[in-house]
Amino acid sequence: MGQVDGYALSLTNVSKSYGHVRALQNLSFSVAEGRFFVLFGPSSVGKTTTLRTIAGLVPPDRGRVEIFGKDWTHEPIAGRGVSMVFQSFALYPHLTVYENFAYPLVEAKLGREEIDRRVKETAAMLRLDTKLDRKPGTLSGGEQQRVALGRSLIRRPRVLLLDEPLTNLDAKLRHDMRAELKRLHRQFGLTIVYATPDELEALSMGEEIAVLRDGAVVQIGTPDELYETPRDVYVAGKIGSPHMNMIKGKLAPDGTTIESAIGTLRRKFNAAEAGEAAVIGIRPSDIRLAASGESGVAASIAMLEPLGDVTVVSVEAGGETLRMVLPESAASGLQPGQPASVVLDPGKFHVFRASSGQAIT
Amino acid sequence: MSVTPVTSVPRTARTSPALLEVSADNWRLAILVGVVVSALGVAALPASVSFWIVGAMAAMVAAAFVVNAYRRRYYGGLLVTPAIAVLFVMNIFPLLWSLGLSFFAYQSNQQSIRFVGLYNYIKVLTNDIAAPDNWNALINTAMFVVLTVSTQMIVGFLLAMLFAKQFPLRKYLLILVLTPMMLSVVASGVFFTYYYDPTFGILSYVMNSITDGQFILMDSKAGAVAGIVFADAWMWSPFVMLLVLAGLVSVPKYLYEAAAIDRVSAWRRFWSITFPYIRGLLMLALLFRTIEAFKLADLVILLTKGGNDTMTISYHLIRIANEQNKTSEGAAISYVMLFMVIVLTNLYLYLAKRRNREA
Repeated sequence: MGQVDGYALSLTNVSKSYGHVRALQNLSFSVAEGRFFVLFGPSSVGKTTTLRTIAGLVPPDRGRVEIFGKDWTHEPIAGRGVSMVFQSFALYPHLTVYENFAYPLVEAKLGREEIDRRVKETAAMLRLDTKLDRKPGTLSGGEQQRVALGRSLIRRPRVLLLDEPLTNLDAKLRHDMRAELKRLHRQFGLTIVYATPDELEALSMGEEIAVLRDGAVVQIGTPDELYETPRDVYVAGKIGSPHMNMIKGKLAPDGTTIESAIGTLRRKFNAAEAGEAAVIGIRPSDIRLAASGESGVAASIAMLEPLGDVTVVSVEAGGETLRMVLPESAASGLQPGQPASVVLDPGKFHVFRASSGQAIT
Repeated sequence: MSVTPVTSVPRTARTSPALLEVSADNWRLAILVGVVVSALGVAALPASVSFWIVGAMAAMVAAAFVVNAYRRRYYGGLLVTPAIAVLFVMNIFPLLWSLGLSFFAYQSNQQSIRFVGLYNYIKVLTNDIAAPDNWNALINTAMFVVLTVSTQMIVGFLLAMLFAKQFPLRKYLLILVLTPMMLSVVASGVFFTYYYDPTFGILSYVMNSITDGQFILMDSKAGAVAGIVFADAWMWSPFVMLLVLAGLVSVPKYLYEAAAIDRVSAWRRFWSITFPYIRGLLMLALLFRTIEAFKLADLVILLTKGGNDTMTISYHLIRIANEQNKTSEGAAISYVMLFMVIVLTNLYLYLAKRRNREA
């Protein structure tokens, strides 16, 4: 609640409903100044509503929105120092690229020369110098995206909101724009809040990621934290590709083993949890084929998905399907239907309570 | 065509018949026979008989064309034929016929007809007796065009701005606002004669209770014009509104949000975001309403019968051509009017295109 120094942005228990639809429910998070912060979650979890609340387009029903320590919850948009790039780009179709850039500046009552200087500077930075007198409709998707970015940056905002800015671009362009955005972030030291449903974007760009579900934050952390210690099944399932394997099981009374369909797994856990139904998560990269002579779980190979240097191998064991990532060399001899013995790295088990999905440590 | 298609699906089912072969689809022969028989008939027989002979020959040629089109599978042509026939009979023929008439001295209640060249045009534009009325009606029409169109454009535009927002009962109010447009002009005209009526009209009633004395709207030219312009605006502002509304709802909402974040003032937001979306439709409304206003006659007939110097060129034309039977003079006036409307609309279109190129 009380703003910690250095927070550019802080949302406290923000709720917002549209009719019967609860878009945000007690959403809270803080973003340190200069941080690249990612709001991650599938569509319709409230990412866009969150951004619109920060921008001031949507007044929250409850809660506080603070920007650089000042309460902006019920203040108008102007003066927030926040700018936003919309998923649809929202370029002004009847204005040229130059006019689109100049648009926010004219309103700021800057001189003609200053505007011209800044427009040229921004265009050069985004490599749009030759497109200044074109209309947005005649530009490619990537160029439109850069115009949208430039229009947001030209006002020198303190906080930049990006709403799925790469969703409308093709795969190659998306890759380039990720690098470009990271470069801009470093160059300007901007605070960026970036909404995306794409885990690759989230993990590769975010310095800090908030995983959202049903309009609330499930877990906030660095990409490594989310990957290594997901707080619940939802986060574990969303982060990491291919997705984590989930095996139903039961915590044995002895406090060191878990009974599951694929056999008894060794893992220490808090004895107080003994007897609980559980879900064991294991990442595909933490499963390997047993070496000759090594004992492992008996399985049969169901499917091979070669991805170049690695192959995703699906095996069936005890009625469960497990996916594992093998280096191409290890998977080269495998055939579907062939029996195999697999080893699960016991140190890498993630155990979750079956009822609530919460992680058990 | 020198290229023979490899897959030889015959496009023409039969070859055309030779010129002198008697067959239902031989349209060349039909034209030949038609021209010869018509010429002979006109030369040898009285007009009352030759008229029908020429008609029968025209029908025969048309029938030959149809059979020919059917046998050679020109189905596209066959399908548009009825529409073209109607267009020709109802529009193009009368248009050309009246153009011809305008060069003759002819009255529909008299038998005589005499070629006079441009005399009718000179008369309607310069004659000391006939021309002043025409010019006066034309000036009145110009006044009505300016007043009704500008009123409709402004009121229609403001209504559209209002209905582009969401408010309770909007749907029902919208239907109510659109009703005048759907009513027959005669019905609306009758409403307004009652509203404006000096003895039991509501307008006079209200005015009389505010001021003393008898208020009669149609007493002066200004009042009469105001009455007509108001009635016309009442009927046709919804039309302008509908067009502008279509433009307004087509503006993507995110543009306004982007503008809000860019802190753009309402005034600039309107001119740089909203207006480009409705400019074309405003132009269309302006064009339609101007052409219609040029032809304004119905309300004048119903409300003032041209009294108090409210005669419009359209109503004047009806009087000259239909009531005074000066057919060829009426045709000349019509053509002067048509010329003006064409010039005006092309001017609009030229301006609209130039604006589009600039934008």
